Amino acid sequence: MTPTRVYICGMGIVSSLGQGIAKTKDALQKGLTGIRPLTLFSTAPNLPLPVGEVAGLIEKDALPRTHQLALLSAEQAMAECEIAPDAVVLGVTTGGMLTTESHLKKKAYDTKLYRYHATGSVAEDIARRYQCKGPALTVSTACSSGAVAIKIALHMLRSGIVTRVLAGGADSLCRLTYYGFDALQLIDPVGARPLDKNRRGMSVGEGSAMLLLVANEPENAVAEVLGAGISCDAHHPVRPHPRGRGALAAMQAAIKDAGITAADIDYVNLHGTGTLDNDLSEANAINSLFPQKKPLLSSVKGAFGHSLAAAGAVEAVISAISITDHMVPANTGCSHPDPDLKLAPVIEPSNRTIDTVLSNSFGFGGNNAAVVISACDKYGSAGIPIAKGPFAILGSACVTGVGRTKRTIENISFGKTCKGRLPIQDMSANLSAGDVRRLKRFPRMALSLAIAAHDNSGGIDRPSSVFLGTGWGALSETFDFLTRLYETGEQFPSPTDFVGSVHNAAGSQIAIQFHSSGPNITMTGGNYSFEQSLMVADLLSQDINESLFVIGADESHTPLSRLFDRSVSGDADLSDGGGAFCLKRGQGALGLYLNLVSYENAANNPEVILSLIRRLGGPHNINSRYGALLAGIPAAFRGDGERQLQNFLSISGYKNPVIDYRKITGEFASASAVAAVMAAKFMETGIIPGPLLSGNALHLNHRGTLIIGLGDFVTAMEVTPQ
Amino acid sequence: MEKLLNELKVKIVEILNLVDVQPDDLKEDDQLVGGNLGIDSIDVLEMVIMIEKDYGIRIDTRELGAKVFATLRTLAKYIYENSPELSN
Repeated sequence: MTPTRVYICGMGIVSSLGQGIAKTKDALQKGLTGIRPLTLFSTAPNLPLPVGEVAGLIEKDALPRTHQLALLSAEQAMAECEIAPDAVVLGVTTGGMLTTESHLKKKAYDTKLYRYHATGSVAEDIARRYQCKGPALTVSTACSSGAVAIKIALHMLRSGIVTRVLAGGADSLCRLTYYGFDALQLIDPVGARPLDKNRRGMSVGEGSAMLLLVANEPENAVAEVLGAGISCDAHHPVRPHPRGRGALAAMQAAIKDAGITAADIDYVNLHGTGTLDNDLSEANAINSLFPQKKPLLSSVKGAFGHSLAAAGAVEAVISAISITDHMVPANTGCSHPDPDLKLAPVIEPSNRTIDTVLSNSFGFGGNNAAVVISACDKYGSAGIPIAKGPFAILGSACVTGVGRTKRTIENISFGKTCKGRLPIQDMSANLSAGDVRRLKRFPRMALSLAIAAHDNSGGIDRPSSVFLGTGWGALSETFDFLTRLYETGEQFPSPTDFVGSVHNAAGSQIAIQFHSSGPNITMTGGNYSFEQSLMVADLLSQDINESLFVIGADESHTPLSRLFDRSVSGDADLSDGGGAFCLKRGQGALGLYLNLVSYENAANNPEVILSLIRRLGGPHNINSRYGALLAGIPAAFRGDGERQLQNFLSISGYKNPVIDYRKITGEFASASAVAAVMAAKFMETGIIPGPLLSGNALHLNHRGTLIIGLGDFVTAMEVTPQ
Repeated sequence: MEKLLNELKVKIVEILNLVDVQPDDLKEDDQLVGGNLGIDSIDVLEMVIMIEKDYGIRIDTRELGAKVFATLRTLAKYIYENSPELSN
């Protein structure tokens, strides 16, 4: 594989400072601020707090605001490009939340109203509009999501599986984040003053930014993405590590990945939220990284507000602008730099030659990311190629409606279903009640699964990284937060529920439990979230020598599951569960391997099944390699999914048993994680039990199991022996 | 004051979901945050909301919070002296 250079060939931005690159440049040059009192929704009886709200958004159709923000920046980034991107990778945390909140407040329970609630629906909408046939991935690592999306896109391009990726982030303001950050006392009542000695907190914002990243084609490029690094503090659900341990690790990893040294950095675009803890933690990390001469530094969050999942992408665009326009944006809001921080931020916009920028984005749960952007071809080095491939399975565990791993596998072996919803005490029987007193159903499920998978691996390796997929995240916390918010006249929301509602809170709990300071990434791609987390683990694992977790989990919730998940709405009884793997590159004692083989968009893609068959090595290979096929057809896609399956079976001539696994697990977004664990457990014995096949037991005879996901995406994972 | 102390013990155990802790296990003069009960900064914020909701008192700076939440007794005293609800 040849080294890859990744160029930014198109950019789009929508923020409180305006829409488009030109307006943004103008506002940055003039040192304007977009922070003003909120107008988007009523906060009566309280006065609105200052926020970074996008003004003049003309609503085009019924799509939620986040989707519209995303579309606006995508249109700008794709304006000069007629070729469909091979993948879309977006950071999104609020998705359709603003719309959902309004309907929930009115207790309007028509499922159609919630169709675009899912964070993943933003990337899917963009992918559909731009005829993207590849993956549409959604990262939800709180405030680092946009930067993590760029890191994932960078590795996709370096791996050679794609040549053009639309990457970025989008989040709209909503009550959940507005009141949630306020409940945590993290809002500055006069507007964010990052790095100022009188700072009191952040200003929540909204926006979107997109970068069209292209491999090895410098034509029309504005800048180059040289590298990116990610880390996890593994310290606290909300507060950053006081010495900036994880922030420093992410910056060092980004610089190493870029093939440069800290001395090459001309400007650091700080995360700089304006909270007491973030700015101190980040300053400590900066002072460690640059012990003597410091580059120019500024945070733009006093001008833009903090657009959460969009921020990393917004600031990547600003970093590129600082290079193309020889300009360092001001640290707006800071008039008296805090002497304790020992930093000298750029107070006024200044014209300087900037070739290399380090842009920081740190999120709740200690999810840190840093991106290095440079002038095109400034450095001789090019990105290290990424080698992908199967993971050795060290251990696995699952939970379903009937019980934890042993009980689930027993039930399935007797041909029974494992639908339903396990009582929370049984589900988290391996957790100490005191330790998890603040965790509700979803984080308990994820943590319990991680511990069980680790135990099953023999518990020798300590996984350093966590890749968690969830279709819907912490529904209980989200619902409870909004319910109490509304019941108390929008006065007294629960800070604990807000912390728990964040999609990556569960991943953060796992990191704290296992001291996992490597990448900690939560993917929220609907029914394909587990596959997304496996894909990202695969892409990023080159940097990881230790074992890692790949987990898929979803809780069921009344009323939210039926409102949000169209596959669930028709089911009489709710089901939930998940599966977890402890994986490692190289060899494992079990002699079993888990691998993601294919992930394609079925929309705009009539050849998706042919393509799947090609990726699986053709009909002969499929028949000889896989002793059984587990097919996942979400109920909402029953018709299409069954047609896709028939198409697959007839073209491939596949004759071995096919198991329609959602009929066993019940309907929930991460059912494929349970299917993968099921496959691994059967392969440990080499036999698929007869009752499951309504016939004789099947001896796998060293053949593998294929797990395909059908519906609006078509995915394939395999569990194979050595 | 005694009544307020007992009331707070019950509320704190309930809102913080303190497992296996009885209201009487909370001692008036023990360190409230960071002590044996495992109460941390997120719990403090949950208590802040409860105090504002039930007693009409806003504790919105970290300095004040550190003083007020030192022990259960300092908390009760602060509420007792500042609550418009209790003075009515």
